[in-house]
Amino acid sequence: MTSPLLAVQDLEVWFDLPHGDTLHAVRRVSFSVERGERFGLVGESGCGKTTTILALMGLLPPTATVSGRVLLEGEDILEDGETSVRPHRWTDISMIFQGAMNALNPVQTVGAQIVEAMELHGIAEGADAKSQAGQLLEMVGIAPDRLDRYPHEFSGGMRQRAAIAMALACEPKVLLADEPTTALDVMVQAQILLLLERLSQELGLTVILVTHDLPVVAEVCGRAAVMYGGEIAEVGPVDTLYHDSRHPYTRLLFAAVPDPTGEEEVVSIPGAPPRLDRPIVGCPFQPRCDRAFEPCPTEQPRLIALGADHQAACHLNDPAFRAVS
Amino acid sequence: MRGADYVIKRTIFAVVTVFVALTINFIIFRAAPGSAVSNLARVPGATHALRAELEHEFGLDKPKLQQYFIYLGQLAHGNLGVSFASQQPVSHELLQALGNTIPMVLLGTLFAIGFGTFTGILAAYRRGTAVDKASVSTGLFFYSLPTQWLGLMLLLIFAGTLPSGGRVDAFLFNPTPLQHILDVLKHMLLPSLTLGLVLYGEYTLITRSAMLETLGEDYILTARAKGLSDRRIVTRHAFRNAMLPITTLIALSLGYIVAGSILIERVFSWPGIGQAVYYSVQNRDYPMLQGAFLLLTLSVVFFNYVADLLYFKLDPRIRE
Repeated sequence: MTSPLLAVQDLEVWFDLPHGDTLHAVRRVSFSVERGERFGLVGESGCGKTTTILALMGLLPPTATVSGRVLLEGEDILEDGETSVRPHRWTDISMIFQGAMNALNPVQTVGAQIVEAMELHGIAEGADAKSQAGQLLEMVGIAPDRLDRYPHEFSGGMRQRAAIAMALACEPKVLLADEPTTALDVMVQAQILLLLERLSQELGLTVILVTHDLPVVAEVCGRAAVMYGGEIAEVGPVDTLYHDSRHPYTRLLFAAVPDPTGEEEVVSIPGAPPRLDRPIVGCPFQPRCDRAFEPCPTEQPRLIALGADHQAACHLNDPAFRAVS
Repeated sequence: MRGADYVIKRTIFAVVTVFVALTINFIIFRAAPGSAVSNLARVPGATHALRAELEHEFGLDKPKLQQYFIYLGQLAHGNLGVSFASQQPVSHELLQALGNTIPMVLLGTLFAIGFGTFTGILAAYRRGTAVDKASVSTGLFFYSLPTQWLGLMLLLIFAGTLPSGGRVDAFLFNPTPLQHILDVLKHMLLPSLTLGLVLYGEYTLITRSAMLETLGEDYILTARAKGLSDRRIVTRHAFRNAMLPITTLIALSLGYIVAGSILIERVFSWPGIGQAVYYSVQNRDYPMLQGAFLLLTLSVVFFNYVADLLYFKLDPRIRE
């Protein structure tokens, strides 16, 4: 049995707040991804999805406390903090950010920023690195002679393409994409998503796509995890999540996607996500849930396996409770 | 090309600024209350004949417009007039004073730039730690001190060990060049330190805030994700961007080399431009003042011009 490419086990993140409070942003998050897989991490703003992937690379600020394991091909890269994670940054796991508006340094040429990553990790140097950087730009659909241009000379979509090219500079195994299309207009969004999909297929690249946009996940990813209140509510193949969701939040989330024909009304989920700076008792979604029953306010649901590759954290799936209800 | 456009635009702007300043400079002294001649005559009840004679001698009886063109014409030839007080050419007097001021101010400013930028970067990088707090409170302390008071305190403390005023030791006869330089340096130390400490506060605070701002940018997160070391992130990515506001500050403080030191030069009797301005005001030495103002304008405009050109080099976004 081979271990998955990347496995996250019991990841927890706390932030120190002023006045001695703490915010428990990520709670017992576990998931794993295989080589070449496109995995979605979906949820509302503030559900802990960005925190989760920043924690994967050890990029959270010093106010954050992280526990749990991140296994890359079986090796725990967070074991010794900065020392153990830095060698894996960009060479094994790289990252692109929201819209890429400010993800590129405004006073360096795009080429210099790509070459910097290559030289740092000993991939290539000098003219060789530059020609490789040109090929990378070509791969993402930018003319290689744009290497000497500055980020402000690029449009939003081109910047994101350049950021993707830069992320591929050291041939990583995993690409973390944090809301990569959020700040872009719809046409450009589609192009970027197609590009990510193509690169993942051509290069065998694993992509973890973080987004609040369900249709994006359905379009690009094979599998996804739905996060709520810092926890994973449900994880499984996107098709299963859509057709056979076993967590009310997933179901309501899909129902909340606007129907392009305009025939069905947009449904919203009433209420607000739980406050993460206070202890959560019972199921975090219970106050907003349309199917809450006796155990929900007091008992905390755990992820229960529902099929070979499908898990949900909801008491409705628990035979012990089902018998009662 | 855009670059040439930018340089030409900035140059024209600088030249026009100087010209406007020259004109205002001319008008101010004509509009100022009191007559230039009253002090020149040095006799309280000077006769009208004497006054008229003096006015004629200095060309003050000519129409204002004609005076203005004469003034411009003479300026073009580098003639700033003759000091009322010393009867020496103003340009000669000013150059000498400037020669005394520049090394003193430069020493203090360089100290402030070097030390202030360094501690500013360190404080931003170690935000929230004891290092940061110590650096910020020290910076605030010196920044908020009145220059002349700090000067007087340093004078009180060090007057025994270091010379308390002047530029050279009057009793050092026939010094060798090396002796002379050391002597001047010794005299320079306190006034430079006073200036340097006050500027240091400003530099360290501004560097810190500029650095904090850039360290919070997304491209710093990208740089960290790329696996760069902290040192490289600070030098290559953060400081490079934070340099923009710092450059402005450097240009501004260098521009005020000429004027910013009046208080310090008074406290330490340093025979520089500040001192010259002070005496000229007391003596109603209009040509000297006019010359000093001109020099001040030129240095401010010049350093701003240099900052503009540096910006062009540092920030690719300006080249648009």
